[in-house]
Amino acid sequence: MSENNTKWFSLNLSNSKPKQQASTCGCGNTSGGCGGHQNEIRSSAIGDERHKDGFEQVFDVQMDRRTAFKKLTASLLIGAGAVTTSCSVVADEKSKEKAQIDWEEQFKGNYKLMSDEEKKATVDRLVRSYELRTNKTISMTSENAQENVLFGYAFNISKCQGYMDCVSACVEENNQDRNSEMQYIRIHEMKDGQGLKFDEADDNYYHEVPAEGHFYLGTQCFHCDNPPCVDVCPVQATWREEDGLVVIDYDWCVGCRYCMAACPYDGRRFNWSKPEVPEDEVNKNQHYLGNRMRKKGVMEKCTFCVQRSRKGQNPACVDACPTGARIFGNLLDPNSTIRWVLENKKVFRLKEDLGTEPKFWYFMD
Amino acid sequence: MNNNCYTYSIGCLIMALFLSFSCKHKESKYHSLTDKIEEESKDFIGTDISLETLLEEMKLLEIHEEGHAFLIPERKGQLKSYACSECHTKPLASMTSLEIGKKAHWNVKLAHADNLTMNCITCHSESNLDELTSLTGSEIDFDASYKLCSQCHTAQFKDWTGGAHGKKIAGWAPPRASMTCVNCHNPHSPSFDTRWPSRFNTQMEKERKEGLSH
Repeated sequence: MSENNTKWFSLNLSNSKPKQQASTCGCGNTSGGCGGHQNEIRSSAIGDERHKDGFEQVFDVQMDRRTAFKKLTASLLIGAGAVTTSCSVVADEKSKEKAQIDWEEQFKGNYKLMSDEEKKATVDRLVRSYELRTNKTISMTSENAQENVLFGYAFNISKCQGYMDCVSACVEENNQDRNSEMQYIRIHEMKDGQGLKFDEADDNYYHEVPAEGHFYLGTQCFHCDNPPCVDVCPVQATWREEDGLVVIDYDWCVGCRYCMAACPYDGRRFNWSKPEVPEDEVNKNQHYLGNRMRKKGVMEKCTFCVQRSRKGQNPACVDACPTGARIFGNLLDPNSTIRWVLENKKVFRLKEDLGTEPKFWYFMD
Repeated sequence: MNNNCYTYSIGCLIMALFLSFSCKHKESKYHSLTDKIEEESKDFIGTDISLETLLEEMKLLEIHEEGHAFLIPERKGQLKSYACSECHTKPLASMTSLEIGKKAHWNVKLAHADNLTMNCITCHSESNLDELTSLTGSEIDFDASYKLCSQCHTAQFKDWTGGAHGKKIAGWAPPRASMTCVNCHNPHSPSFDTRWPSRFNTQMEKERKEGLSH
């Protein structure tokens, strides 16, 4: 953190750190995306990531002995599995194929750096792996962000009645863990005329709604344009896509939960246990960055239903809302309804002073 | 003094060098998100994403209101007993029967404004039940029933045409298709009922009781 005690939090002020001044460029960006990193000579391969894909990311990296040993052990275990099954005469074709898939999945790179072919390959592997395990076919895509699209959201606090249909739709659409009853969306019941007091609001009410003298305000991931969660991720498993969606590679996430701590909006959720969804309730229209099945120990959150929104559809919460309190659209399209809302209604965002630039506005009738 | 000046100018030079080589954020090209949106949408040429295939099977009508052009669902085909004139062969007054009372539409109870403001014939034409009627007695097609609503609900109408009120059909991508008033509101009883939330999170309740959650 910075030494000058500013009111807002910032991770970018590294030029106030005397030690790092000489070696980093102060942009807070470790990926080399700022342009200033190109000339740096770095011992690790982090700066070279742009050119390294797939296996190279894992093998062509300088690491200390401990990390190397850890990686070796993990790989050996999978390798041993693969070898026993593939060399065995008893093992059937399917388990051989499964071992092969596990092996390739273990050594795949960060999705963010994959070429389109590599993305397709991992998606195909995941689909096949699911088929081998459950005998059920899913469809998974790896659609990239489209040009001229920047997703934005508006929420009408005078329309929301607190029915929570959005929450149910979200849980079903996004295959969220049923055991821990994970939910990306929270609907806060707030008292009229007292401002936005989240500490006094109730987000788990159960009585007839709308309750007299209350209004309802929904929160979820706001897909900040300047997302603090992305800055803190030590492994770059979460990032901002070109269309503004902040996404997670569940297979690259190490589960440190830094992002959860960094999010000022309580937008992120952690899988403390193995997420489970009854087989007949699994939404089989999936996206690699969206609602595909997660595993224990990784972060997840709202993706504005990337599997739907990149096809032109609305997120599930928008479609489920019976009151029309939720508006979704392309911020770059001057004729879109979201733009009309931003230009014609009195809108506000939460904690605007943090400079996170959430793409989630609230408005009233 | 001279020495000081020298160090100072060197310092300045280093600073200038540092600044010129320091990063330029993609984000910081703009002062704020709104600036960025405004700037980047200046030459908006549209996207490849379209809802046309999704909307293909729906019967939609294009309307032009308040400078916006969009699609709304056709209504007459959704009305079970349209055309009304199949039963309503005579004007309303001659069809009412004092002995039996209502012969049809028993389920319709008007809970829309009050008796002073509205009754059946505020919206339904007495002489031609296949059409709706405006406050001044002009006919309004059932497919354009929003014109009836907008006579009083002007603010909602403006928000609806702009897109702040109501729901869109299928998605955000063009072409824009919006639900019309009667797709969400029952015209005879337009306000939404109170009801129970569709879910209650027992796990969250448990965690909070045990003080596990923050």
